[in-house]
Amino acid sequence: MTATDVHVAQAPPASTPTPPRSPRRLRGLPAAAFLGLLCAGWQIMSVLVDSVLVPGVPAIAAELVEIVVDGSFVEQLGVTVLRVGLGFALAFVVAVGIGIAMGRSEFARRFFEPAVLLGLTIPGLVWALLCVIWFGIDLINPVAAVALSSAPALMLTIYQGTRSVDPDLLEMAHVYRFSRVTRLRRLWLPALAPSLFAGARLGLSLGWKVIVLVEVFGMSSGVGYQLNNAFAAQNVAAVLAWTLLFAIVMAVLEYGVLQALERRAGRWRKAVTV
Amino acid sequence: MTAATRIRLTGVGKTFVDARSGARQQVLEDFSLTVEPGELVAVVGASGTGKTTLLHIIAGLVQPDAGEVDVGEPRLGVVFQQPRLLDWLSVRQNVVLALEAAGLDPAAADDALAAVGLADYASSYPTVLSGGQRQRVAVARAFAVEPDLVLLDEPFSALDELTARKLRLLLQELWMQRRRTGLLVTHNPLEAALLADRVIVLTGRPARISASYRVDADRPRSAEDKQLFDLHSHIVAAL
Repeated sequence: MTATDVHVAQAPPASTPTPPRSPRRLRGLPAAAFLGLLCAGWQIMSVLVDSVLVPGVPAIAAELVEIVVDGSFVEQLGVTVLRVGLGFALAFVVAVGIGIAMGRSEFARRFFEPAVLLGLTIPGLVWALLCVIWFGIDLINPVAAVALSSAPALMLTIYQGTRSVDPDLLEMAHVYRFSRVTRLRRLWLPALAPSLFAGARLGLSLGWKVIVLVEVFGMSSGVGYQLNNAFAAQNVAAVLAWTLLFAIVMAVLEYGVLQALERRAGRWRKAVTV
Repeated sequence: MTAATRIRLTGVGKTFVDARSGARQQVLEDFSLTVEPGELVAVVGASGTGKTTLLHIIAGLVQPDAGEVDVGEPRLGVVFQQPRLLDWLSVRQNVVLALEAAGLDPAAADDALAAVGLADYASSYPTVLSGGQRQRVAVARAFAVEPDLVLLDEPFSALDELTARKLRLLLQELWMQRRRTGLLVTHNPLEAALLADRVIVLTGRPARISASYRVDADRPRSAEDKQLFDLHSHIVAAL
């Protein structure tokens, strides 16, 4: 098994079979039970340990409410999301171009493959450090760090997606003289949709991790910066509160936005052959 | 209406080299064929006789190693063995894309679909259609673009016989309405006799024309026509 295979195995499958559906109101029950147990367990632990390093659930909740109410969460999160969004968009555009080129041309594949493999193995931390050193506090720093850390995974996923695109359709597009733009919009992107979504998940998850590091090291705003502040003040409740809120927003983006988009892109699949 | 496209192949050769084993297969050698403007020529032969290669060369999908291909720059309407539709677009959009690429009015898509009996399915996704209906969409697309040259590559061989029969008659009807220059590649001798003005039989490797028949029967023809059936027997004998 090569490094390539290992990495791809981590990517979430493009479509998972859906288990039989339980009644709507019961569907959230297992998740709620887990969260309830987690809170209860945490509270018991904090009472038993009785240390400022393990704040209780009420303390964390109070901190959570505070950063939401005083507006700092929305403000800082906005900054972070903007950075990730720009970096990810840059990586996405570049990766679509290079990924398709790798799938279409043997030369492009051989040329970019080392870059992709190298990029996959470089830890996000290294990109964060390098970008802080090179670009300082400019916006380009976090954008570059996010783009550099998420692009290789995206390229690989898209490249592998291109191999499942039906060459017969490309022939059809050729004989009917579809323009480049039409081919990209109507053929390549829809055909690659499952790979694009898998790549987007993977790329975004890498991006979130890197952005926090960049903000810890080199920024004076954003969720990472706030985490660093809380860490410096030894305010464990604040660290946990920021982390929790951040995780919740990521989950909403992932399950709300990405899945809705994916459903939309896959509408035609629902139409079953009679 | 343009029916002025003439296909003229002179001394065309094509050899495929297997990238792995290096094995060479000479499919065509010094092959010549002329299809007159407005003529529909059927190329019949067993699998692997280079029929599809011939069609691909004319379509510009494959470059010959030798010889001359003179077809000009025709606008193509192609029906492949598989419908080759974009499943994520509606039936209408599939036709519209081809119309737009040809610089034609996208509104013509609805007429084209009506002509193949699929007016009611214009907004459906191709995935809800049967195999025969999908191939009808492909036929509609091929004729919608007002092609100079129609290329049919085993267009009905993936369909069941009953469906294929209906589509052959549909194709004949379309052909009578809007005559083009055309090449039909098929391994079905009766299909060739039914649809074509001229049938050529390819045999061997590299392929050579082992027989050629002019079909003078008036259209519309019927698959039950005795004359066509006799011709079919001749073609089978030549294969």
